[in-house]
Amino acid sequence: MRAKERILDACDIEAFFLCDDIEEGKRLGMALMGELGFSDVDVVFCEMAGPGARVRVRGYVNRPGSAYTWQREEGAVHDR
Amino acid sequence: MTDERFAEKKVLLAPLDPVHDVGAKLIARALRERGHEVTLLQPDLSPEEVVSRARQVDPDFIMVSRTISYGTPELLARFADMCDAAGLRSSAKLVVGGMSIRKETAQELGFDAGFGPDTTPEEVADYVSGTFGLSTLASYEAVKPDLTRGYTYDFKDTEIGKLCLDIARGLIDWSAERTSPGIERARLRREIEEARLGGQVALASELRGRYSSLTGGDVRKWYETGESIPHTRPLSPEEAAAFDAMDDGVPAPLLSQKPLDSVNVIMQYGTGCPVMDAYHIRLSLAWGAKGAVHFDPSWGARTEGLAEGTFSHQHDGTVLTLENLRLIKRTVHPAALWQVRAHRGLNTPETVVLAHLAGADLTKVNIVYGSLGAGTDPTRLAVDGVECLRLAAEFGLPYDVVTNEELCGVPARKAFAGMLVVATAGALLGGRPILQPLFADSPEAMVSGFTEDNLVDFNAAKVLVLNGIIDAPIWPGAPVGFMTQTQDRCQSATMTALHAALGLRLGAEAVTIASSDEAYAGGPISAQARVDTLKSVAASLRFFGSSRIAPTARAEEMAADLRKGILETLTRVHERGDFVASLYEGLFGDREDGAYPGRAGRDTVTARR
Repeated sequence: MRAKERILDACDIEAFFLCDDIEEGKRLGMALMGELGFSDVDVVFCEMAGPGARVRVRGYVNRPGSAYTWQREEGAVHDR
Repeated sequence: MTDERFAEKKVLLAPLDPVHDVGAKLIARALRERGHEVTLLQPDLSPEEVVSRARQVDPDFIMVSRTISYGTPELLARFADMCDAAGLRSSAKLVVGGMSIRKETAQELGFDAGFGPDTTPEEVADYVSGTFGLSTLASYEAVKPDLTRGYTYDFKDTEIGKLCLDIARGLIDWSAERTSPGIERARLRREIEEARLGGQVALASELRGRYSSLTGGDVRKWYETGESIPHTRPLSPEEAAAFDAMDDGVPAPLLSQKPLDSVNVIMQYGTGCPVMDAYHIRLSLAWGAKGAVHFDPSWGARTEGLAEGTFSHQHDGTVLTLENLRLIKRTVHPAALWQVRAHRGLNTPETVVLAHLAGADLTKVNIVYGSLGAGTDPTRLAVDGVECLRLAAEFGLPYDVVTNEELCGVPARKAFAGMLVVATAGALLGGRPILQPLFADSPEAMVSGFTEDNLVDFNAAKVLVLNGIIDAPIWPGAPVGFMTQTQDRCQSATMTALHAALGLRLGAEAVTIASSDEAYAGGPISAQARVDTLKSVAASLRFFGSSRIAPTARAEEMAADLRKGILETLTRVHERGDFVASLYEGLFGDREDGAYPGRAGRDTVTARR
């Protein structure tokens, strides 16, 4: 089972992007998550100051009620 | 026979660093407290000097520390080689620790163990004692807290007390002549469960038919046709089996997370899915929470009746059914508190019954909040709410009386008047209510400038005034810090932690917290957001310790104003002579305040036969 599939619900990534405005910061955050292979993504927080933006982006791997990746037959997480 | 693990060991501690030796000193203390013989060397010795001392001491453990990072790998590799050459490795374990150390690096360099940042002295002492990995992961013997123990519910403020008692007695008398579909279903639910337990299948089926005739909307369709309730689906057998895989029938232990061990921090859950809830509860208890509050979907509160079975829900809130609750209960440690809320909606008496049947420790009741801030018709909730108080008393189930109508804009003086009346009614009926003032930045506080200077005074004033009125437990919520958090993780966790620490330092029995995702509306709360917040609460409690937080003199003035406002509100309600009419007429909060009498369940109350 890949590491991503062992994420309980969501993966948060925080970064400081050098950018010109807050919208660009958000776009960069979303682009980063796309590059990392996350599809269900959102900007949780973005704040612009000085040379760039502090951004927290989130990729949901397992939303409540979905078919959880860590529960699949092969390598399912037990006794945890 | 002596256990070798606990035998006294000789330890040589040496900071291989020009100046930094605080960590080594702390470890030396921890080791000495356990009876080990420790030789602590000064900083800035050369590797040769340390090896020379080691040959004199003949230790069981040679522990060196390193904080600065430059030149570290080369230095440590050379030191390990020198120990080898001196023959020390045959009799001593070689250990390195410090801010620049990683476990993997230590092993690559030939050390037996490496301890990096965030290592506690106790962990190092555990390693020496041979118990490393046991105590840090060990459960502790927690006892389930009783938040109501020792409280008399006697009024200290006799003027306010007399008004509360008169109004509460009037409410109880008024409700005694009335009933509702919610009360009837609660009775039927008990009978259904009794029949099932007694193996009376036909009777259970007949009672279930009567139950379904008292339901409405999507729940009625579910009973009559089996049609799914929107946005829900039954849990699959695999999902249900996840509980077996998770706990093998035994709840996960409570893990020691000082200083949270000694306080009652309760967290909310309700992801929609019992399986995900189970993980969120387990990780919260592992990170120091003492209990969990079940959040159900808001639509459930507006529908007559509750379904049966295990369900997953695609949106916020986990569906209230006995089967869902029983599944979730399996994950709650026996020493942890578990609350199932019955404070608003059309199913409150049955919710108290389910809470009891599923083994909950607490419920939540407030007629005023549910009527003015959560959409339930005041007449209906007054009848159902008093039934909840009766049932909670019968089941020995304590409950909080929450004042979340403050979030709608209702001033604290009016919300507290309502809370006190409901709590008084509860105590008169033999129950154990807990006062739950909002610890947050309410619209009233912001508009009035109560929180312009600081967020301590107004919250402290609430505790001061309640302590002066009645001898009852206080449990701020719910959750603390509401409307102070932003989507910024650090800010959100900090505000939650400070509100929690304030409440606990002011003597509250417990606090309910959310997570650092509280202000994020884009998706479900993440597991790491819960951990962040619990870590922040722990850090804030560590910071304040047993010291007292001193509000400014303004808190006393606010408390005096609050008392005056509570008295005025109660006097008006008393003069009106009708608790329920007072709800409709805005005496506990009017439209201008942001309070609107709810409509769900209107005209459903009938005379009790």
